[in-house]
Amino acid sequence: MALIFIRTLVIFVTTFIVMRLMGKRQIGEMQPYELVITLLIAELACIPMADNSIPLLYGIVSILTVYLLHQIVCILDLKLPGAKVVLGGSPSIVLNKNGIDDTQLKKNNLDVTDLIASLRTEGYFALDAIEYALYESEGTFSALPKKDYEQMQSSLPIIIVDEGKFDEKNIERTKRSKAYFLNALKEQGCSSEKKLLVMTVDGNGKVYMQQIGKKYKVFHLNWEEKLW
Amino acid sequence: MIRTLASIVITLLLIFGLSWYEMRYVDRIFEHFNAMLLSLRQKTESGTALYEDGTAVQTYWDKQRHRMHIWLPHSSLLEVDYQMDEALGFLYLKDYEGALPKIDVLIGLSENIPDSYSLNLGNIF
Repeated sequence: MALIFIRTLVIFVTTFIVMRLMGKRQIGEMQPYELVITLLIAELACIPMADNSIPLLYGIVSILTVYLLHQIVCILDLKLPGAKVVLGGSPSIVLNKNGIDDTQLKKNNLDVTDLIASLRTEGYFALDAIEYALYESEGTFSALPKKDYEQMQSSLPIIIVDEGKFDEKNIERTKRSKAYFLNALKEQGCSSEKKLLVMTVDGNGKVYMQQIGKKYKVFHLNWEEKLW
Repeated sequence: MIRTLASIVITLLLIFGLSWYEMRYVDRIFEHFNAMLLSLRQKTESGTALYEDGTAVQTYWDKQRHRMHIWLPHSSLLEVDYQMDEALGFLYLKDYEGALPKIDVLIGLSENIPDSYSLNLGNIF
């Protein structure tokens, strides 16, 4: 039994560390340790039930061990202020007044398109309409829009440059060429698309552009008509 | 908070209590079984072992085996049953040369089975 206790402990700690390293994308809406427990309990309960040659006590002791660890983690989570951050992680502010925080996105194994998708699920379509956006430690997403955000998203923005690469299909949708957008970038003091973290344009020609490590810019292209 | 702490203490006591009992119980049974097998081996080597000596060891093993299934994987215990039946067959025929290797295997099993479930680094990993 002591053997099973220690083996379960080792697997718990290993799975927990791996889940923490995987970042928020893997977690969904549970705390990392809750997910570990959910994964372990299902397996631990199944194996002795299905395999007659394994004493049922092995499964019972394993599950008791997981329960014990859960109770200990809960106490640490509630009583030790530092433990909460270590065990559950801290919220990541991925969009602030300066624009997208690329470092925070990478820390959580996310990219700009993931952020834009999360914003869309919350009902926000324009990156410049958002004051702050963050991923909570359990993986949920929340965003604080600017006061007049509804006027800022009158048309759906599409990605023209995503982390240094042009999106050919979206360029076609704008009925413009790569050279046209490169020119627009140069006018804004950016020599190449490779320096860009993101560039989006909406149907009115409003551009959201952010160079890697710099504050975002919003400018308008002179489009005669609304494209979409 | 008190309830959580109490549940931790109770679970810890339960797990450590079970572990301690299991180790003591399994070790004690196999120690006794090993001693019986060593005595049977001596008699077989000197050519004085009777079929009844073998059945006495088997009766002891059969009694303990049922309870042992609670603590140890059943496949580990099946091997003992098989070797025991073989050894008894040879003793019935008074074929001591045939019985000796079987008793040696049983002695090995009685030493190795508790070892393979004991608490050590090798078994954990």
